[in-house]
Amino acid sequence: MKIIYRHHVAARLAHWIWALAILVLVMSGLQIFNAAPYLDASDKSDPARRVLAFDAERTATGPAGYTVVFGRRVRTTHVLGYADDGFGAEGVRAFPAWLTLPGPQDLADGRRWHLLFAWVLFVSWVAYLLAAAAHGTLRDLVLRPRDVARAGPMLLYYLRVRREPPAHGTYNPLQKITYNVVVFVFFPLLMLTGLALSPGIDAAAPWLTPLLGGRQFARTWHFTLMVLLIGYFATHLALVVSTGFLNNMRSMVTGWYVLGRHDGVGP
Amino acid sequence: MNRGLFVATSLSAIGLAGCASVKRTLTDGPFRDVLLSTEKLNRAVIGTHGLAREYAPSDIDHTFRVNSLDTPSDDAYTSMALDGFRRYRLAVDGRVERAQQLSLAELRAAGTRTQITRHDCVEGWSQIGEWAGVPLATVLAMARPTRDARFCVFHCLDSDQSGTRYYESLDLTQAAHPQTILALDLNGKPLDADHGAPVRLKIPTQLGYKSAKWVQRIELVAALKPIGGGNGGYWEDQGYEWYAGI
Repeated sequence: MKIIYRHHVAARLAHWIWALAILVLVMSGLQIFNAAPYLDASDKSDPARRVLAFDAERTATGPAGYTVVFGRRVRTTHVLGYADDGFGAEGVRAFPAWLTLPGPQDLADGRRWHLLFAWVLFVSWVAYLLAAAAHGTLRDLVLRPRDVARAGPMLLYYLRVRREPPAHGTYNPLQKITYNVVVFVFFPLLMLTGLALSPGIDAAAPWLTPLLGGRQFARTWHFTLMVLLIGYFATHLALVVSTGFLNNMRSMVTGWYVLGRHDGVGP
Repeated sequence: MNRGLFVATSLSAIGLAGCASVKRTLTDGPFRDVLLSTEKLNRAVIGTHGLAREYAPSDIDHTFRVNSLDTPSDDAYTSMALDGFRRYRLAVDGRVERAQQLSLAELRAAGTRTQITRHDCVEGWSQIGEWAGVPLATVLAMARPTRDARFCVFHCLDSDQSGTRYYESLDLTQAAHPQTILALDLNGKPLDADHGAPVRLKIPTQLGYKSAKWVQRIELVAALKPIGGGNGGYWEDQGYEWYAGI
């Protein structure tokens, strides 16, 4: 059994701060979204360019909630459109109260949570990058051409076509690609698309909002990136559980990790 | 059901049930001061810089959404409206050297600015309209704020169900911004009752709730604490940020 010190303290701290920040940002973001439960691919609001909407209506069998994706209407009563209102009943709400922060409809406090944890994410992101760069561990994370070349063999290993994983460092090639996308693409884009919604930012940095297709489009990108991040989180969780849950958790808390058969050792 | 799954399901159920009270305690409890503190940081970092984008006439929304407290319907407002607001006077007072009582004709004569800008609501939606009106800076220059004046408070004619009057406030930097205007026209016509007739504030560098409708009086003050609920505006008193640039 070979034990290695896998995660530097900066990475472990950043990991848990980000996990908390993303949880709060998603829940408060859904609270904010509920105040205008539709997304348009345009600058100003434009129902003709609506890509997603939630609504509710009375039917013979009681109130019904709907999700409208690119004009296709799907009944989603009790879950989306007409759902938990946070007071033990149901009401017209895009996302249910159990998913939002605060629970009941409260745009003002939803914004307070969201803007505070946007700062938490931004500051911890910058601090992590500086600490990891200073310590040298950022090199283990940053994607190199050889990682891309090894992504195919690693995928074959995951699919059980290949018996051995390709040689790799702290993170395997697919992990590296994924983490690079999250840390260097999703995070900055989430911050920029969020900032692009603000009239003060739009005046101070007038290049940003038009670059994203306008304010409503920026809102659509911001939401889309959240969906992608949740997709990442689900995959991440599945892999954490399936590749030795306790070993993975211990390494993300203490730093120490027991090398297993999945870990191709090499440069 | 295996044991792991049972434990996981039980924990999730307890988590969800406990969540509502945890969320409430975190939002309204001792952590609240931290939640509220971000606003100062946003104001310091973003502030009021640059100009809001101005659009082409083809971008204008000709049906402009009405999203505010109820349009005033009391006798005083109705009779003033029937008279074409000839008896309307905008009061500018408080910490000023020369208090003003300005008629609509005097406001128009002070020189107007026309701007096609996007109105960004805190709820998330946006519309584009053409607003014409007097720059607030022009009106303030007429009244000459004293040295200790730090905020303009906009007292409005509309009120909510409980009778609480709408009001808003800006600091003097926001007030001096060239696109901060006392709008008299929307989309080429004098404001109608629902859009804030006869005078509304329009500040495109801030979220919509700052652009108070039915402005009746502008009071220059040294501090916002003594006014209304003490937070600088109707929505601010209900938890929204005074700094609405984000």
